[in-house]
Amino acid sequence: MAARIAASFAFAVAAYALVPFAFSGNLYLMSMIVAALTIGGIALAWALLGNLGGLVSFGHAAFFGVGSYASALLVMKAGWPIGISLLAGGACAALAAVLMLPALRLRGPYFALAVLAYAHIFRIVATEWKGLTNGAGGIGNIPRFPVVLGYDFSSKTGAYWIVLSLVLAFALIYAGIRRSHLGLALRAMHDSEDATRAVGVNSTLAKASMLFLSAFMTGMMGAFNAHYINFLEPDYAFSGLWTMLPIVAAIFGGYRTITGPLIGAVVVYLLDQLVFKAMMPIGHQIVLGALLGAMILFAPQGLQSIFARRLPRLRMTSASGDA
Amino acid sequence: MTELVLQALWSGILTGSSYALIALGLALVFGTMNVINLAHGELVLLAAYVAYTCESAWGASPLLAIPAAIVIVCIATALTYGLVGRIRRDRELNSLLLTYGIGIMLTNGILLIWKADIRSTKSAWLQDAIVFGPLYSMRSELLFFAVSAALIAGLWWWLTRTWAGRAVRAVASNRDAAQLMGIDPHRVEFVSFLVAGLLAAFAGAAIFSVGVIQPGLGISLTIKAFIITVLAGMGSVPGLLVGALLLGLTESLTTTFFSSALQELAGMVLFLVVLFVLPNGLFGTRWRRAH
Amino acid sequence: MCMRKALGMSLLAAIGCLLPAMGGAMAEEFVVGVEVPLSGSLARVGTGMSEGINVAADVFNRKNGKHKIKLITVDDESSPAKAVAAVEKLASQGVVAIDGGYGSGNIGPASDAANKAGLVYITSGGVDEALTQRGLKTFFRINNTAGYSKAMLGLLSDMGAKNVSIVYLTKEATSDLAKDVEKALVAKGVKVTMHAFDPSITDFKPIINKIKLQDKPDVIAMSGYENDYVGILRAAKVLKPEVKAVVGVWSLATSKMQEDFPDLMTDVYGTALLPFPAEFTTPDGKDFAESYKKLYGKEPDYLGQFGYVQSQLLFDAIVRAFDAGTLKTGGIATELRKSNRDTLIGRVQFDEKGDNPNFSHRMGQHQGKQVVVVWPKEYANGKMIFPGVPW
Repeated sequence: MAARIAASFAFAVAAYALVPFAFSGNLYLMSMIVAALTIGGIALAWALLGNLGGLVSFGHAAFFGVGSYASALLVMKAGWPIGISLLAGGACAALAAVLMLPALRLRGPYFALAVLAYAHIFRIVATEWKGLTNGAGGIGNIPRFPVVLGYDFSSKTGAYWIVLSLVLAFALIYAGIRRSHLGLALRAMHDSEDATRAVGVNSTLAKASMLFLSAFMTGMMGAFNAHYINFLEPDYAFSGLWTMLPIVAAIFGGYRTITGPLIGAVVVYLLDQLVFKAMMPIGHQIVLGALLGAMILFAPQGLQSIFARRLPRLRMTSASGDA
Repeated sequence: MTELVLQALWSGILTGSSYALIALGLALVFGTMNVINLAHGELVLLAAYVAYTCESAWGASPLLAIPAAIVIVCIATALTYGLVGRIRRDRELNSLLLTYGIGIMLTNGILLIWKADIRSTKSAWLQDAIVFGPLYSMRSELLFFAVSAALIAGLWWWLTRTWAGRAVRAVASNRDAAQLMGIDPHRVEFVSFLVAGLLAAFAGAAIFSVGVIQPGLGISLTIKAFIITVLAGMGSVPGLLVGALLLGLTESLTTTFFSSALQELAGMVLFLVVLFVLPNGLFGTRWRRAH
Repeated sequence: MCMRKALGMSLLAAIGCLLPAMGGAMAEEFVVGVEVPLSGSLARVGTGMSEGINVAADVFNRKNGKHKIKLITVDDESSPAKAVAAVEKLASQGVVAIDGGYGSGNIGPASDAANKAGLVYITSGGVDEALTQRGLKTFFRINNTAGYSKAMLGLLSDMGAKNVSIVYLTKEATSDLAKDVEKALVAKGVKVTMHAFDPSITDFKPIINKIKLQDKPDVIAMSGYENDYVGILRAAKVLKPEVKAVVGVWSLATSKMQEDFPDLMTDVYGTALLPFPAEFTTPDGKDFAESYKKLYGKEPDYLGQFGYVQSQLLFDAIVRAFDAGTLKTGGIATELRKSNRDTLIGRVQFDEKGDNPNFSHRMGQHQGKQVVVVWPKEYANGKMIFPGVPW
């Protein structure tokens, strides 16, 4: 137990202090890391929906886009402060998930693609509702993160700290739910929905709450991104990449674990941008497709399961066992 | 005004028939293996690019390119089947992810080989106008409407009248029982993948002759095909035609009477409406709900 | 004897040491960053612009005996986030300016990042109004929406069109242009009907049918991209509305469209900087064409032409700033703003906001296998075939 606390502490120090210390001079690398963590946050939310809610979604870009626009518009048109707007962005994404409630009745692939349809619909609405979103032109000059306690959070390092904190918070929430009664019920439900319903677990409510939570987290990531890039347009905010990259990241890193999606995101994104793109300036995402395919075929439990097989002592929390 | 409506209906029917061609392959594989091949649109696109290469390299009409397209696409589908078949657990969802990955690879592969420019047929013969009173169409649209009708009829005949087709339907409705009756599900699944590839090849030639192709088109084709599969309901080939026509008509009527800016939206909304209100699709014979 | 030699040597050495202090006699290599989309939705136009930029560097390196330009190109994948990252990467590699950028959505954030890094950003790929209203002193562009609408309006007025139907894509650049043209036409008393369409449309027959049966215009105006033009023209060829001309904007009056879709292009108008086959009469133009042919084995297109001009202006400004010793202290921006020269796209000057107020495009028409510039008169090398449609 003590070892775990020490390890977590060391990790926190490394993440918060060492990384900026080492890399803040290299803006490009820091940009990559921030982008990777944004993807990681979505990947975490996606995996949460898959593991605890038992639902695979192919349209998380919907939540990301709604969160982005909600936060940007609340700050620019209603004068809300940016920190609150991040939470509001998440909340609006969760509200958007309410529209998806009828889809919960659907079986796996149908739900996955229904969410995709929603993503397209939201994108088109954002393009057409010019009065609200300025249509295809998008919104520019979105306010950056403010100066808090004398530190300018609109800097690269500031943005890094914000996204890192968000992602770690999500991870803690995820871990907390897993350990709780709700988590137990959800995992039981995953194995046999009929059995759990017989015991009195309201499966629809449970699934819905996971959908809302996943949407909320993804929406917050979208809101963060809006104030970080300071620009939004419908095709960008609802782009299929916000769905694709987190899926590849989560599968690669191991979507049954909590840290898996995060590690997957960092590794996949950095590999893609720093290595594959350098080797193949055009079409380098072909490697991502191959990676996804390979992982599904050979290691559906993700990267960590490969390591766990080789190095049993490094086994982290897995699907069945939990500490 | 009536002319406008008539043309809208006619356009919708023609567009719907090419959608049906695209959807057939996806529906077949989905029906037999319960696998949604998210790379299906990319396979159709691949066939379209093969048609393009044949036309630009040898000046051959896209129709003549169909055999080459069939060969190439069937190789690709066979490979896909091989990979999908290796999934052990949770086939429904894992195959979704696997084919998603294959789709990404195909899209980028197409981008690498054929670059990002738009392509379409140069054949003047195919683009000629054919007019029936107030109804206008391109020769290529009529041609592929006929091809589509023929293929659907052919597919229906194959599924209902031949041994192989009946085996496919048997596996689709109850895999274990079919196995007990001596049908090898693996053979059947392989065959349905190949037939899907065949259909995709025709669909690819169609979209190349009728419209404009570019590497990013794959995913939207897959989505359209999936929407139609849902509209039709499981296990119904005539249903596919009706579903496709319905989608085509919805789009052209929306364009004519509302705004052409809402065409895609109309299709998506139709999809969701059918998904929620008629979970079995219009003609479905199998369940799609979770319980 | 040895003494004199030694004296001579030391004298030479002394002069040699003084030379750098005198400045100007050393050959410099200037590193310029190029941020363009080479993949993603803007891959085609980004590649075209990148070719023009490479040609500009090639011509510069050949003609300017002293200095050299070295380009570092980074793909921004048609995405705003990657565009910002590309600019940051280039800035970290010590470039003196950023050349390139396509799509107002990507150029906005990217030029912001360039500004933060103290780098000049010059482009021909962003026509959005908002780009020049941010108060950035380092942002420059050689074209804008107004130039395109001026050209289209000029042609329409030459034609005497009294009734125009505008078919436009709902993306920003295309719909801005359409709205601009609509406003100007309505102000002149011309009847205008607008038809918006979304990017997923492949069958334009319903729209063209509405135009044919309800609007009955003199001219059909199109604002979209290549695939939209093909769709619209195909539908029009089938339905055969009774119009006198079909006019589009960018990417239409090009040799590529003529090659790929010869039956659809007859008598169609689009924006065109130069006729095809291009007759480059100025020495500048000849350099450009030669180098383009040598590097890419094909005729230059408008994307390359724009990329060339923007880079040409940038490189000139860099050299002037270097000579003035202000290279590291914002000299490039100052020198760019002083630009005033004739280029392939006409005279270019930059105003306080970085816009080129002289920019006015030209209209060309497909006539046979050629593209003939028909508007404005100063640049026209032929008369328009009017009325004339591909059917």
